Amino acid sequence: MSDIVIDIADVRKRYRGGVEALRGVSLQVPRGGIFGLLGPNGAGKSTLVKILMTIVRPTRCCGTMLGEAVGHKSTLAKVGYLPEHARFPEYLKGAEVIRYVAGLTGMSGHLVKQRTAELLDMVGMGDWGKHRMGTYSKGMKQRIGLAQALINDPEIVFLDEPTDGVDPKGRLEMRNLLQKMRDEGRTVFINSHLLGELEMICDSVAIMDKGEIVRQGTIAELTEKSRRYELRTRGDLSEGLQRKLAEDGVETEGDTMSVYHRDPAPMQPILDALRAEGVTIVEMREVRQSLEELFMESVGSEGVGGTQKGSTPPQLPGKELVK
Amino acid sequence: MRQILTILWDSYRLLAAKKLFWIVLFLTVLIAMIYASVGFTPEGISVLFGAYQIESDLIVEGSMFAEYLYMMIFTDYLVPWWLGLFALVLALISVCPIFPDFLKTGSIDIAISKPMSRVMLFLVKYLGSLLFVAAQVSVFCVIVFIAQGVRLAIWNLEIFWAVLLLTFVFSLIYSVAVLVAVWTRSTLFSLLIALLVWGSTLAVQWSESVIYKLTYAAPASGLSIDMKTGQTGQADKPLEVNEGMEKFYRVIKAVGTPLPKTRDATYLLKKKVTVRGKNLTRMSEFLEDDASERERREAKVTEDYDNRHSTAYIVGSSLAFEAFILGIACWIFVRKDF
Repeated sequence: MSDIVIDIADVRKRYRGGVEALRGVSLQVPRGGIFGLLGPNGAGKSTLVKILMTIVRPTRCCGTMLGEAVGHKSTLAKVGYLPEHARFPEYLKGAEVIRYVAGLTGMSGHLVKQRTAELLDMVGMGDWGKHRMGTYSKGMKQRIGLAQALINDPEIVFLDEPTDGVDPKGRLEMRNLLQKMRDEGRTVFINSHLLGELEMICDSVAIMDKGEIVRQGTIAELTEKSRRYELRTRGDLSEGLQRKLAEDGVETEGDTMSVYHRDPAPMQPILDALRAEGVTIVEMREVRQSLEELFMESVGSEGVGGTQKGSTPPQLPGKELVK
Repeated sequence: MRQILTILWDSYRLLAAKKLFWIVLFLTVLIAMIYASVGFTPEGISVLFGAYQIESDLIVEGSMFAEYLYMMIFTDYLVPWWLGLFALVLALISVCPIFPDFLKTGSIDIAISKPMSRVMLFLVKYLGSLLFVAAQVSVFCVIVFIAQGVRLAIWNLEIFWAVLLLTFVFSLIYSVAVLVAVWTRSTLFSLLIALLVWGSTLAVQWSESVIYKLTYAAPASGLSIDMKTGQTGQADKPLEVNEGMEKFYRVIKAVGTPLPKTRDATYLLKKKVTVRGKNLTRMSEFLEDDASERERREAKVTEDYDNRHSTAYIVGSSLAFEAFILGIACWIFVRKDF
C-alpha cells in the first residue's frame, strides 16, 4: 500500500470564457493524517477537489488517487465527500440521507443500517436520525453531511469548508471528529480558509494562490525558518549593550528583542548580558510563524481580503519560558 | 443495480413529498370513481350509483353498445382529456423542478462523486421522474378495470396500455423540460419551453387532423364544402379529392413528422383495446348486418381516419424525437462542470 494517496502533477483547468482556475497544480498527499488545502477565495481549491471527485473535468490532469488514475469512477467507492454548501433532500430524514448516499455508492443490506446508526451516534445525531432534514439547523446538516461522507468507510475523506456557517461549539466538535477520523487511519483532506482551525488539526498543508500551489509541507517544516526567541524587557539599554546585541544578531524594536535561534543555549549569554546591566526581563518565549502569517507571506496582500471572512484570528503559537 | 434502485426510491420519496402529487391523485381517483358510478340497467344508463337514470332502448344492460359506450368514455374522453392533458400539465408543473433542483451546487456534487457513470445517473433520474404519471395512470386504470369488471363483467387487461402510452406521452414532453433544465438550470424556463413545444406540436397535430378530414374524410363521405362561402353539400357517392388540399395536407404532415405525436400516441389506446374482441378503430365491425350502404361508408371513413397513421410511424417518430432531445441533454449533462 502506497504512502501517498494523492499524487497529481500539472493539473490544469481552463473554464469556458478563458478563466484559468488551475495552472499546473502538483500535489502529494500522504496516507493517514489531516491535510489542509488553504487559499484565498477563487484560488482554485474547490476546483481541484471537484476534479478529484469527477465533478469538474480537467483541461489536463496527470496523476493518481489511491493508485488509480484521477477520474476512475470505481475508486470513488473508497472516497467520502462533503461538498461546500452541501444540499440534502429536505424531504428525507437524516438516516435516510445517509442510506441514500450508501445506495449511490453501491452499498446495501444490514451493514448500511448498522453503520448508519453508528455514524449518527458518532456525529451526535443519534436522536435526530428520524427527523426530516428540513427541521435541522445548519450545524446539524453539516453533521449529517459528515456522516454521509463516512458511510462507505472511505480511505480518503474530502471536506470542502466543513465548518462554514457552523457555530464555535459545532466547530470544536467537528475538530474532534476530524481527529477521530485521523486516529482511525483515514486521510482527511480539508479545504478551508479558516486558518486558525486548520492550524490546530492539520498535519500537513498546501497553500494555493491563483491556481498554483505556492507552499506545501508539514506546518513544522513550513514555519521552521521563522523560529525565533522573543525577549521583552523593561529598562533602558546602554549604547554599548545595544551595539553588542546587534553584533550578536539581536533585532530590537521598542522593548522587544527577536533572536533567530532554534536552540535556547545561545540565548543564555544574551540573558546574562542583560541581567548584568540590570535590565528587567519581563518575558522570554519561543515563537514560530503562525499559519496566518505564513499564508499572508505566501499569497501576499492581494489574496488576503477574501480569506479572512468568518475566520477566527489564530493565536500566535508561543511557549513562554520566562515570565 | 443498487444505485438504480436508490435513485428510483429517491424519486418516489420526492413525489410523495409533493402536495401537488396527492392533489392530482385525489382528483384522478375522484374522476375514476365518477366513471365507476356509471352503470347499465335493463331500462338504460344509471349515473352516480343509481342516483339518476337515463332511459335508452339501445344502450341497456348486457348490450354491446353499453360496453362500447363505457369503453369509449374511457378511450375518447377520460384518457385524452383528463389523463392526457390536464393531469399531464399538473404532472409537468410538479416534476419540472426535479432536474433544476438536482443540478444545484451542493446537491449534484454528492451524486456525481459516486462510483456511477453520469449517463446512468441522468437516465435513471429521468426515468424516476416519470413515476409521477405512471403512478397516477396506474391508479386510474385499476379503478376503471374494477369498474368495468363489476359493471359489465368484463375483466379487460388491455386498458392498462394507457399506463404505458400516457407515460410515453409524458416522457416526450418531459424530455424537452429536461433538456432546458440541464442547459439553463431554470425550473420556470424549462416548464415554459416544454409547454410551448407541447402546445406547438398539439397545434400541428390538430391542424393535420382537421386538414385530413377536409381533404380525405369529407369527400369520401360525399360531403362537399365551398371554402369561399362555407356552404356544404351532401352527395350520394364519394367525391374527388382536391389536389390543392392534398398538397397542403402533405406539407402539414411533413411539418409534423419530426415532432412528437403526443395526441396521436394517446389515441393509440383505441387501437389497443377491444370490445367483445372488436377493435375500437374498426367501426365497421360494430355495424349490424342490416346496416345501410351509407352507414358502411361512414364507418369506413372513420376507420381510415383513425388508422391514417401506423403505430410504427407514431411511436417511431416520437421515439426518434425523444432520443434526439435526450441525447443532447445527456451530452450536456455528461460534459458539464458542476
